[in-house]
Amino acid sequence: MATDFWASTHYKRWIVDRSTLKQARADDLLYVSEPEYVDFLSIYFANLITKLGKKLQFRQRVVATATVFFHRFYLKNSYCETDPYVVLSACCYVAAKAEESPVHIKNVVAESRALFSQEQYNVKHFPSDNHKLAEMEFYLVDDLDCDLIVFHPYRTLLALCKKDSSSSPASGSHSISPTDEAEAGELGTGIGIEDGPRYWGTGEGKLELSEGALQTAWFIINDTYRSELCLLYPPHLIAVTAIYLTLVLHTPTQNSIAHLLPYSSAFNSDSAISSESMQTTPQPRRSSRTSDPSSKQTQQDPISFLADLNVSLSTISTIAQEIISMYSLWSRYREDVSPEELRKTSMNLFGDGTSSGSPASHTSHAGQRSGSTPLGNTPGSIGGEGGDDTANSWPFGQGRLVTANFLSSLLNNMREARMNDMAHPPNGRPVVVNRMLERTG
Amino acid sequence: MHVDNLDSMRMYRAKRDALHVFVKTKYKILGFISSGTYGRVYKAEEDAGNLYAIKKFKPDKEGDVVTYTGISQSAIREIALNREISHENIVSLKEVILEDKSIYMVFEYAEHDFLQLIHHHSQTLRSPISTPVLKSLIYQLLNGLVYLHSAHILHRDLKPANILITSNGQVKIGDLGLARLSSQPLQPLFAGDKVVVTIWYRAPELLLGAKHYNNSIDCWAVACVLAELASVRPIFKGEEAKLDSKKNVPFQRDQLLKIFEVLGSPNEKDWPSIVHLPEYPSLKRLDPYPNRLFDWCHSRLRSQAGYDLLRLLFMYDPDRRLSAREALGHAWFREDPLPTANAFASVASNQIPPHRRITQDDAPSMSMTIPVQPANAPGPPFTQSQPVLSGSSQQAQAQAKSGHSHHTGTSGSLGEAGGPTVYVPQVHGHGRSTTKMRKKPRLG
Repeated sequence: MATDFWASTHYKRWIVDRSTLKQARADDLLYVSEPEYVDFLSIYFANLITKLGKKLQFRQRVVATATVFFHRFYLKNSYCETDPYVVLSACCYVAAKAEESPVHIKNVVAESRALFSQEQYNVKHFPSDNHKLAEMEFYLVDDLDCDLIVFHPYRTLLALCKKDSSSSPASGSHSISPTDEAEAGELGTGIGIEDGPRYWGTGEGKLELSEGALQTAWFIINDTYRSELCLLYPPHLIAVTAIYLTLVLHTPTQNSIAHLLPYSSAFNSDSAISSESMQTTPQPRRSSRTSDPSSKQTQQDPISFLADLNVSLSTISTIAQEIISMYSLWSRYREDVSPEELRKTSMNLFGDGTSSGSPASHTSHAGQRSGSTPLGNTPGSIGGEGGDDTANSWPFGQGRLVTANFLSSLLNNMREARMNDMAHPPNGRPVVVNRMLERTG
Repeated sequence: MHVDNLDSMRMYRAKRDALHVFVKTKYKILGFISSGTYGRVYKAEEDAGNLYAIKKFKPDKEGDVVTYTGISQSAIREIALNREISHENIVSLKEVILEDKSIYMVFEYAEHDFLQLIHHHSQTLRSPISTPVLKSLIYQLLNGLVYLHSAHILHRDLKPANILITSNGQVKIGDLGLARLSSQPLQPLFAGDKVVVTIWYRAPELLLGAKHYNNSIDCWAVACVLAELASVRPIFKGEEAKLDSKKNVPFQRDQLLKIFEVLGSPNEKDWPSIVHLPEYPSLKRLDPYPNRLFDWCHSRLRSQAGYDLLRLLFMYDPDRRLSAREALGHAWFREDPLPTANAFASVASNQIPPHRRITQDDAPSMSMTIPVQPANAPGPPFTQSQPVLSGSSQQAQAQAKSGHSHHTGTSGSLGEAGGPTVYVPQVHGHGRSTTKMRKKPRLG
C-alpha cells in the first residue's frame, strides 16, 4: 500500500545495513587518499541537489526525494564509474515527476549547466542535449528498480508534533528570538497534516512544540539527507531523533523543559527516561487537564511523550550520534570559499558554528540566519558529557577543511584513474565487476 | 581534465547494457492485443507458460529518429503506484523493463474486461448480464477499490474498459495511468490534470468544476459501471463539450442533463456546498428534472436493495455519497444471490465471453527492439494492412485499451479529438486504429 510504510518498497527493499553501504563505496575508496572524502562527497552532492532544487523551485519534499534517489543509485554504482552530475540532475528530474510537481526537462538541463559550471564545481562537460538527461533518467529509473515512492521523516514530524497553541513568540518562561521564528513557511502550506494516518506509534494527541522548535526539527531532517541515514533507518525513526535532538539542542525548548528532568543532564539515559515516564500521569499529553503543580499553563511532558512512542530509544540514540557525526564532518566543508581564502584559514579549527560555510549556510532553507542552525547556538551535549561551560565553542569540527573545489577535482581524478584502470588493468586482466546488490526485477 | 567529455556515462552504460535482459529473451510475444495513445499492449508468455500482457509505451520520436525525451508523467505514475500495491482485485505488475528507449510494463494477463462483457451481452447474446454475475463483478470491483482508497490512491479513470476479468472470473482493476496519491499532495489534485475521468463516468462535482475532490469520484464511477452492467449500455451517455483553444474546460451541459434526466436536478438541500462550485450559475439555468432512478432500476436491477445501493452511490453530495467500504457492506451483497469469487461461477461455458483475440501482424514492432541484428538488417515484411479489428468484440477490446486518454486529461492528450462517441467501436475505433497502424515504428 502506498501509504503503509511497512508494505512499501521503501521499507522492503531500500533499507540496507552498514556493510552494504560500505561495499557500495569499495571501488571509490580505491581512488581516494582519505576514506572520509567519500563522506564529504555525499555532502557535496546533497548540497548540489539542494541548490539545483532551489533553482527549479522545488518544494522540500521533492529535494528530499531526489536526494534519496541519488543515494539509492549509488548503492549500486560508484562515483568513479559514473557522472554524478548527470545522475543528480536526473534524480531531480524524476523526483519532480514522482512527487507530482513536474518540471520541463530543458529547465533541468539549463539550470544544471548554469549551476555546475560555477567555479567551485568546475563541471565543463555537462551535456546541453536534453536527450542525454532523458537517457540518464531511463537508466536511473531502472537502477531504482522503478521504486519511486519515498517516505520522508517530515510526515512523521507533522503527525507527531504541532505548533503550541500559545503561539506568541514569548511563551512560558522563555522568549524566542525572531530569527528562530522566521522561516517556518515550509511547515504550513501544502502538507496535509491531517491526511496522513498515524501508521505507527501509540496513543492520541500531538506533542506541542514552539514554532522555532518545530522548525529546528524540520531543519535537522533536511540536514540528515547529507548522510546516508535515509538508507539505514526508517524515516519515522529519523523524525523522532530530530524531535529528540530539538529538545536537547534548541535552547529555548531546552530551557522550557529543563525543570522536567529529574537529573539535570541525564537526558540520554534510557533508564532516566523510562523512570520519568513511570512517574507521570497515564496521559501526560493531556496534562493541561490534570493537576500538575509544577507546570504552568499548557505544560506537556515531551520526555514522556517520546518514551511512550513505540520506538527503540537506543536506536534513536544511535541515529542521534550519526547525525552529530554528519554535522561534525559538514562543519569542515566549505562550499563558496576561494582557494586563497582557504589558504589563509586552512588549519583554523572551528571557533564557532556560525562562520561562513558551516552547516547553517548550506541548509536547504533560503535566508536562514546562521544563528539559527540547529546546533549553532548549543553546546551539543548529546553524549551527556557536554556542559554549559562549552556553550560558545563548536565541539565537533576537528581536522582540515574540505572545499567544493577540492572535491570537484578529486572526483575528476577518481574518474580518470578508474578509466585508466579499466583500460589497462594492472594485473593484465579485466577489472572484476563487483555488484553488491542483486538487480531484481 | 580528461574525463570523457563527449560521453561521461560510457563506462556506466556499457556495464548496465551488458547486464540487461531483453524483453524478447525473457518473453515470447504471442501477439498484439490493442493500442492507444500511450502505446501498445501485447500478449506474451514466459517459459513456464504463464501469460502476461506487456504494455509498451510508445517511444518518443523526433521526426523519424527514436530518441529519449523523458518519461511521461502518466508512465511514472503507473509505474510508481503499481510497484507499491498488491491486491487480488488489482492487475499486478510483474516487472518493468526499460529497453531501447521504450518502457515495457509486464502485467498479469486477464482474458476479459467489463466492456467486452457488456458488448458480448448487448451484441452477441442479446440478453442482460445475470444478477449473480453482476453482483460478483461489482463486489470485487469495490473490494479492489477499498484497497486503493485505503492506500490513498485515487484511480480517477474507472470505466468498463479499465476493469478486467480473468478467465477465473476474478475482477482486476487496471490502468493506473491517471491515478494519484491523494494524501499530502504537494500540488492540488486539479493542478496536474485539469480533466479526470472519462466523461460518462465523471462525477457531478467534477462536471461542475470542483477544484477539490476525493475518493468519492471513484465511487460515482462505480455506480455508473454498475448501472451499465445492469442495462448493458452506458447510463449517462452524454456528449463531451470540447476544450476551447485556451484549454479552458467548458461547461458540460449535455453530460449533466443526461444525469439529471435519471437522477433529477440537484438542489441545495441535498447538496449544500453545490452553491460554491464554479459552474453553479450555469447549472441554475438548466430546466428542472424529477428523480426517476427508482423507475430506472425497476426493470433493470429488480432488487430493492440493489436500487438502494445505486441510489446511495449516486448521491450528488460527495460527502454523503457511499464510500467504497460502506458500499461493500451494503445489504445487496448479503441477499441472494450472493457474490462469488468466480464471477462466472453461475455461467454456462458457452455463455462466457470469448477469449481476447490477438493478431500476429503487429509483432514486428516488438522485434525491432532487439538489437540482435544490425539495425539495417531486413526485418519481416512490413504490412500496411489493417491487422486488428476483424471482429466486433475485437474492436471493443482495442477500444478498451485506447479510449481512456482521449477522454481524460493525461498530459499531452488534452488537445486531442475524441469524445465518448469512440465508445461505439464499429464507427470510430476502426478509424483510429487504422491511423495508429500507419504510424507504426519503422523497421531498419
